[in-house]
Amino acid sequence: MRTFKFKRSLTLVAVSSLLSITVVSIPTAAQANPVCTTASGVTTCLGATSDTAPYMLMTPANFNGTVYLYSHGYRPNVPVPAGIPGYGGYTVTNTPEPAPGGNAQIIGALLAKGYAVMGSGFARQGWNADSAIKTNVELIGVFKKQYPKTTKVVAWGNSLGGFITQALAEKYPDLISAAAPLCMASDLTPLMTMAGDALWGIKTFFDPTIKGGGYSAGTAGYAEAMGDLVKVFTVIGSMQAAIAANPTAPAWPATSTVPAALKAVPSRSALVLIALMSGVPMQSAHFDSTSAPAGLPASNALSFQLAINPALAALENLANAAALAVLATHDVEQQAGGAIFDNTATDYSARVAAEQFIWSSALSGNAGVGALLGYLAAVPRVKGNPAAIAKLATLTTHSGKVEVPTILFTGTADPVTTPGNQQAVIDKYAAYSAEKWAAAKKEGTRKKPANNQLALWNLPPEKYTKFTATGSPDTTPAAATGTNHCNFTVSQYLAIADLLAYAADNGKNMSGGALYTKIRKAGNMTYDRGYEAPRLKYYGG
Amino acid sequence: MIRKTRIKRTWLAAAVIASGSLLATALPANAETGVSASEIKLGITLPLTGAASPGYNKIGNAINAYFKYVNDNGGVYGRKVTLIQKNDEYSPQLSIAKTNELILRDKVFALVGPLGTANFTATHKSVGLAKRGVPSLFLNTGFSGFSNKKSYPSSFMILPSYAMEAKIIAQFLKDNHAGKKLGIVYQNDEFGIDGLGAFRAAGTKFDVSIPYTSGTQSAATAQTWVSQLAAGGAQVVVFFGVTSATAPLLAVAAAAKYAPQWILGSVGSDPLTLRALGVPVAVLNGAQTPAGNPSPNDTSDEYVKQFQEINTKYNTGTAFDDYVLQGMNIGLMTVQALRAAGKNLTRKGLVRAMETKGSTFASVAYSPLGFSRTSNVGHTGYYMAVMDANGDRKPFGGKVTLYTTDSGSGPVVVSTFKRPAMPAKGLPSNS
Repeated sequence: MRTFKFKRSLTLVAVSSLLSITVVSIPTAAQANPVCTTASGVTTCLGATSDTAPYMLMTPANFNGTVYLYSHGYRPNVPVPAGIPGYGGYTVTNTPEPAPGGNAQIIGALLAKGYAVMGSGFARQGWNADSAIKTNVELIGVFKKQYPKTTKVVAWGNSLGGFITQALAEKYPDLISAAAPLCMASDLTPLMTMAGDALWGIKTFFDPTIKGGGYSAGTAGYAEAMGDLVKVFTVIGSMQAAIAANPTAPAWPATSTVPAALKAVPSRSALVLIALMSGVPMQSAHFDSTSAPAGLPASNALSFQLAINPALAALENLANAAALAVLATHDVEQQAGGAIFDNTATDYSARVAAEQFIWSSALSGNAGVGALLGYLAAVPRVKGNPAAIAKLATLTTHSGKVEVPTILFTGTADPVTTPGNQQAVIDKYAAYSAEKWAAAKKEGTRKKPANNQLALWNLPPEKYTKFTATGSPDTTPAAATGTNHCNFTVSQYLAIADLLAYAADNGKNMSGGALYTKIRKAGNMTYDRGYEAPRLKYYGG
Repeated sequence: MIRKTRIKRTWLAAAVIASGSLLATALPANAETGVSASEIKLGITLPLTGAASPGYNKIGNAINAYFKYVNDNGGVYGRKVTLIQKNDEYSPQLSIAKTNELILRDKVFALVGPLGTANFTATHKSVGLAKRGVPSLFLNTGFSGFSNKKSYPSSFMILPSYAMEAKIIAQFLKDNHAGKKLGIVYQNDEFGIDGLGAFRAAGTKFDVSIPYTSGTQSAATAQTWVSQLAAGGAQVVVFFGVTSATAPLLAVAAAAKYAPQWILGSVGSDPLTLRALGVPVAVLNGAQTPAGNPSPNDTSDEYVKQFQEINTKYNTGTAFDDYVLQGMNIGLMTVQALRAAGKNLTRKGLVRAMETKGSTFASVAYSPLGFSRTSNVGHTGYYMAVMDANGDRKPFGGKVTLYTTDSGSGPVVVSTFKRPAMPAKGLPSNS
């Protein structure tokens, strides 16, 4: 197998998409009434809710009574020093975001149709679902007070904002007419377990000096987390270089302390195992786990397809997932008061049992995966802080019990909020519907309760890995559709907005030909009731 | 009021008669996906290009050739049967995408002959074949895990499992190669492991054991296998892998003048494909192999003769080998399954027909079929064969001795089973 060169570091394409902020002047204290200005027929109001969370309301002169309430995604609650790939130079902000990414095209399109938009920046960043839900409830009141002709509120949100949106729909059906959790986060415990598993895998195989959790309180803990970010990205960088230099048998990073015998297994297989055991998808922004460069001998091409491309997909996705894993672990530990990850009882062999045959070549066959899993079984595990874990369990979780129409949409190769998050809510809603139907039948009702949940998926293309003329993978093109975190187009967002408006007006989701036409025109939106995303690797037990 | 009711009843009766006569003269336009009044659409995923494609890339065309023959002779209850082939390049990820395409875009009624253990594992899980109730007939893999009816309720195997194959080879080794130093090269995944487990259970001890990872087979890796086998003094070498790995192994061994008694597993032993991949026919001479079907050159066999005729007319220019024979046979069995499911074709009906009538289907393979309400096991046995100087396959010992067994701890027994006769003109008339 020949070597290749990357045009770009994988870590540089990582997570910048998470941080898209609207720049406005931010009120610093709660205000009884917002301060409004009108320009070009649009009234923009700025204010802060009682928890000091700044908000923004934008209302057209021809306001039709429906307002879109947007909840933004996860923003780290600590600054990230310059120089750290992906997040470097981030400073904590609570700038309000009234539409996805503050996108002017989306906002303009909605205002032009007579809809208003609004969003909070929330008082605290990091995982803030419980407080953000309260903030949003108050914000709805603020808007209605300002615009008494308001008839409907539709909620939407990305990632953590998707979690908040689903929770709003579950808890406040009287306030919300329809909701669209997008690239949604599911409950915190499985999310943090995924983060913990990925970090623990990177630490165990590649650099045992990574803490991966159990950070100290205060500034010491902050320094430890930032140190981890540097170490994780150093590992990712060395793995990228090692695979480029020797795709078949890349060297293990210099920081790795695994036994010499284990190093006979290609290090790329350890990457694949980490992705599989934590639930990170095997298709990434630039690697489809299928393609090979043109011109390779047939046997080498097959090897690239089955073993090298999947390893690069795992690497690129882990670059995305690990950064947020460090930041979120630090954040949630500070909130919970101790280490929240505990893998003392985790059976990683069972975690990958269903997939190890599928990815057998990438895992270097049964011998390779057996050796890697054997090592994971032999090394010491991480014990969490029971009080902190218990505290985590008291935070809001999704019940799936929704009465208002909801529209779910996510990429099936989202490495941060994997599609299993959306599937979890689908499963919960299915259980709730079955429960309702059983109760209805008991009471003699013959009509099955309506399905008020519309699940849409963004599937990556079959093949999209690009290669340079010399056969090296090209990571400079934009991330493929269906990959990366919340990687949606404006057309897709606007289609979701239309579906929300329809649902709010009709009390049910769009269906049939109208739905198919709508999503076909938006592009890369799939409606398939038979589709089930891979479940989260850990859920509730 | 009375008159009105009478009129209604008369109208209703007339309508019933009218629709009854319609049924008698024309097929209903099924509401089932992939079935119309004139067509039944089926799909298959397999490697049509790439390193894993040699041989396998003939199966789809062979199935289609048989369907064309049936279609020219009235189809299945008047419906034309068509097969859509998708190239998955032997990649599980691509197999998922291609199967999704078959089901969602092409809207096929069922899958037939999907190929590859990892690929079908991936597809079954990710596409949700069981949940959707999509029948998957005659899987081209012998992984015994697919015989788990609970996990794979709408899937049906055709090949004996790799575990069955290993048990039969183990018995053969005991009977014919006792006391010799044994070596094995096996694909280090569920395919090879399925076999290895059965060898272990049968008490076969290999002096040299070489796993290889799927996708790594090449002349360079074969060099290391041969070195290890020769260094270990292996006199009898069992190969449990795919044809694209058999070829470099035999070629490198021949070049190194290492000539053990080869026992080639059924998956990687088609002589024509091996020769096309550069293995000299002399190297194949004397190689032993388990076989389920007669030799594709055996024109005294009624199935082979009929299939060869169909191949000449409907698959023009394609050399008739084990893969073509297997493809034609999948076509024959599929048509029987479709007929058994009746005129009102549904996916559920097809699964039921496989469960209740599948074990009686005519098939070129010598061993019994294991289909029932509780089993989706296909064929259940092999005979041992030996390759001759022409690269042809003849029964070991001069006559077919059929061994049957299961994937578990059941014994290997010599079977007297007589396979059903080829339907007249190769056209099933079952119901």
